[in-house]
Amino acid sequence: MFAQHTTPTDDSGVTDHVDAFVKQICEVIVGKNQAVKLAVACLLARGHLLIEDIPGVGKTTLSQALARSLALAFQRIQFTSDLLPADILGNSIFDRDEQQFVFHRGPLFSQVVLIDEVNRATPKTQSALLEAMEEQHISIDGVTYELPEPFFVVATQNPQTAVGTFPLPESQLDRFLMRIELGVPDRASERAMLLGMDRREMLKELKPVISPRTLIEIQDNVRKVHVSAALLDYLQDLLDASRQRHSTGLSPRAGLALLHASQAWALMNGRDMVLPEDIQAIGVAVMGHRLGHDIEQLGQSGRTFADNLLHSVPVP
Amino acid sequence: MSKSRITKRTQQWRDTAIPRRPLLWLAAALLFTLPPMFGMLASWVPFLFLFALAMKFWMEPRGYRLRSFVLKLILAGVTVGAIFLSYDTLKGVEPGVSLLAVLVALKILEAHTAREFQVMVMMAWVLCLCGFLLSQDFAIAFCLFVAFALLIAALVQFHRGSSEDVFWLPLTTTFKLLAQAAPVVVLLFLLFPRINTGFWLPVGDPHAARSGYPDRLSPGRIAALTDSTNIAFRAEFPDHRTGPPGPMYWRGLVMWHCEGMEWRAPYGAMPISDSSRPHPESDKTIRQRITIAPHGARWMFALDRPFEVTSRAILARGNYLYSVQPIRKARSYEVFSSIEPMEKELDPYERRQALQLPASISPAVRELAASLAAHDSQPRAIVNSALQFFRTHGFRYSLSPGEYSKNDLEEFLFHRRTGFCEHYAASFATLMRLARIPARVVVGYLGGEYNDLGGFFLVRQADTHAWCEVWIPGNGWTRIDPTSVVAPGRVSQDFSSFLASRGASGEMATGRSAFLTRLARLGLVNQIRSAWEAFNYQWDTRVLGFDADVQDVLLTSLGLTNRGPILLIMQVLIVIAAVLVIYVGWMQLRTRPRTDRIQALYERFCQKLARIGVGRDPWEGPSDFATRAAQSLPNESKDIRQVTETYIALRYAPGPAAVNLREFAKKVTAFSANR
Repeated sequence: MFAQHTTPTDDSGVTDHVDAFVKQICEVIVGKNQAVKLAVACLLARGHLLIEDIPGVGKTTLSQALARSLALAFQRIQFTSDLLPADILGNSIFDRDEQQFVFHRGPLFSQVVLIDEVNRATPKTQSALLEAMEEQHISIDGVTYELPEPFFVVATQNPQTAVGTFPLPESQLDRFLMRIELGVPDRASERAMLLGMDRREMLKELKPVISPRTLIEIQDNVRKVHVSAALLDYLQDLLDASRQRHSTGLSPRAGLALLHASQAWALMNGRDMVLPEDIQAIGVAVMGHRLGHDIEQLGQSGRTFADNLLHSVPVP
Repeated sequence: MSKSRITKRTQQWRDTAIPRRPLLWLAAALLFTLPPMFGMLASWVPFLFLFALAMKFWMEPRGYRLRSFVLKLILAGVTVGAIFLSYDTLKGVEPGVSLLAVLVALKILEAHTAREFQVMVMMAWVLCLCGFLLSQDFAIAFCLFVAFALLIAALVQFHRGSSEDVFWLPLTTTFKLLAQAAPVVVLLFLLFPRINTGFWLPVGDPHAARSGYPDRLSPGRIAALTDSTNIAFRAEFPDHRTGPPGPMYWRGLVMWHCEGMEWRAPYGAMPISDSSRPHPESDKTIRQRITIAPHGARWMFALDRPFEVTSRAILARGNYLYSVQPIRKARSYEVFSSIEPMEKELDPYERRQALQLPASISPAVRELAASLAAHDSQPRAIVNSALQFFRTHGFRYSLSPGEYSKNDLEEFLFHRRTGFCEHYAASFATLMRLARIPARVVVGYLGGEYNDLGGFFLVRQADTHAWCEVWIPGNGWTRIDPTSVVAPGRVSQDFSSFLASRGASGEMATGRSAFLTRLARLGLVNQIRSAWEAFNYQWDTRVLGFDADVQDVLLTSLGLTNRGPILLIMQVLIVIAAVLVIYVGWMQLRTRPRTDRIQALYERFCQKLARIGVGRDPWEGPSDFATRAAQSLPNESKDIRQVTETYIALRYAPGPAAVNLREFAKKVTAFSANR
């Protein structure tokens, strides 16, 4: 319904919008500027976001703040182990008045969907969700239902060591553009939060900063940010290096993810071209969860691996 | 490495047996160190060496080895004793190398652990080095080089462990190592200071002193050389392609002292002073470049009547070259010879010398000499009638004329009448002296085999020849070759073709087998042989002949002057260091990927910053780096930002660049951090 061609706004306008957006969220999530910016970049790059951290650091608050600041239709689904695919996609229920089955849309038919504790659901439900994320439509009973645009999934999950979780397989982790960690705030930020207003109250008072139309415009502009040959060299060097040092390395989809995320980051920083620094800024968030398997048993984490990659592959 | 790991390592080395593959490589290498030993050392030494190797391969899989200390001691004692018995001494090159070879052989039997394997490799390297003390022949050098390479391969294989890769894998590493070392080898070969004099080490062929012709022309001694195919020297004519017309008489030394059938050279060469020496006109001279094989004595060769002395040689009385030092390694020299006799006057001392005769000459011979002068007392007439005597009285040329002693002049002239060039030269010169004509015997070489490929004449020991010179007033010392009267073919051909023609006509049975002679006449074999000889010539002149003199010329052309050895060594070290730096730089450039111009300029900018302590990490993006650099260099922050912005615009920005490359280059060049 929003899919219409728009002329790109001028750069400063975009930056202003994005700055205001980031600033508003940062008021709610104190001391987590970098994580917030990454989340916004993920949204602008049309990617889905996975927030992984221990309970109580503000995962849900962040995703709610994102949704409310965008004036988008927002749904929250709490995943549990007995959740079924139909519970999130929707059901066809026989309507006596119409004498036919009528499809009742599930909570997934929304613009911003917050999936809480995504790794608590069974793999069956997880895959139903992830299909929708990738295809941007849902097929039920032979009918294909388009999902609204923009469509943005923010999933949170507890660290996989927590009890009662079904870890997402790497193929499904790959669907998330970024995985970020919030972590506990520093002492000053925590003090500010303790002294400040109730977060729930604050969320209620959030005003939309970016209209859906502007968001789509900005998302279109992201894809237009210039990528030079030198930068693609660097990007491919990174991919090659990951394939040499890791059992599987980064997939071509991961390469696209890196590209789009860095474009979004460049745009957020008011540039019309991508620099190696942009890739480095989003690199750990984009690559970390894609490189976690095979090495996490060895006590290494995908994040450190990605970080090492960025600190060893020379910028050509 | 922690201490415990070191001890663990040595422990491991002490206990592990040598794996089979490195042992095979080592054995192959040791086999290649053998060739110089054969024929150079006491014959049992290389065989003992081979036997030890064979034993090792029999013992190793069975777990046997030389364990008993007493037995080892006895074996060492026995072998050292055997060497002493073989040589009567333990001093000198040959006993020394024999000792080393024998000890290596014993070590082979004893070695079991990995540490001992390393010791063996080291010893084998020393053995390679010792091979060069025995011979510097190209073929030997090649063998030793192969041995050297195989030793590296053995070490490479040893450190790889007992992997089951293809067997030649260590060879590729070896070749890489050798190829990397090659430039350094060439440099050191060219520039490492060489010393002509100073310390004396008998490097070269220790047998050379025993081959070559003697300083005493006793009957049968030259004949013994005719079977030798050893090379005496090689000669090139830089001004002519193929040398002078007519037979080539290579003058060796002159014998003045007559004892009948036996002649002797003076014990020391008396030099002719430079002033008394006549100089011929330049159109009657021939320039030669001669590369002489080491023979341990001092004579040097040149076409008949050399007059220009090379460095480190004198021109001795009798007009022959005499080296200042014994020739123990291949040496090249240039010499000018005159085609015609040069002396016009015979000084009284030489006349006295040239007429000296022993007392024990039989009356029959004296009578013969008197009869030669009966018709005509002119020297020319006497010479002719003597030649006539040899021609008409049934003299025969033979390599095996039987034994003559120095008093057998009568026996030779009247009864047996069979001899070799030395017999004719000696008897003819004696007859001349009896007829009061000054005469002397010249020993040298006659002829030579022309090598098409190399453009040089190869003169072998078998070409040894002796002839006479008589003083004919008005003409000076005149060459008379009595052998040419008896066997005319000997003078017009080189010796081997002369023998071949004689053998073919059935006149003469020689020690050479008919098969070899026929083989030598096959076209292909001949070509291969001449190519091999041409190659050897290059080896001898270019590699072995590269002595201090040649190096001096090279160094001078490089601008290094020879002012004392220490200064020279320092200069050479500087040159070597400079060339190595250039080489390393070049390698660095080659291994670094090619970067475009923008990148090159940016890297220059980064280098400028790095010089004042703000280095860019290779993975650091330009913008991040600029921020960091600007923080640590607040004075230059504006410039740094400007350059970086330009760079980013050129490299990452879309569309046609707002700034052009030249502007960027200017900015980078202008950038300087004043600190």
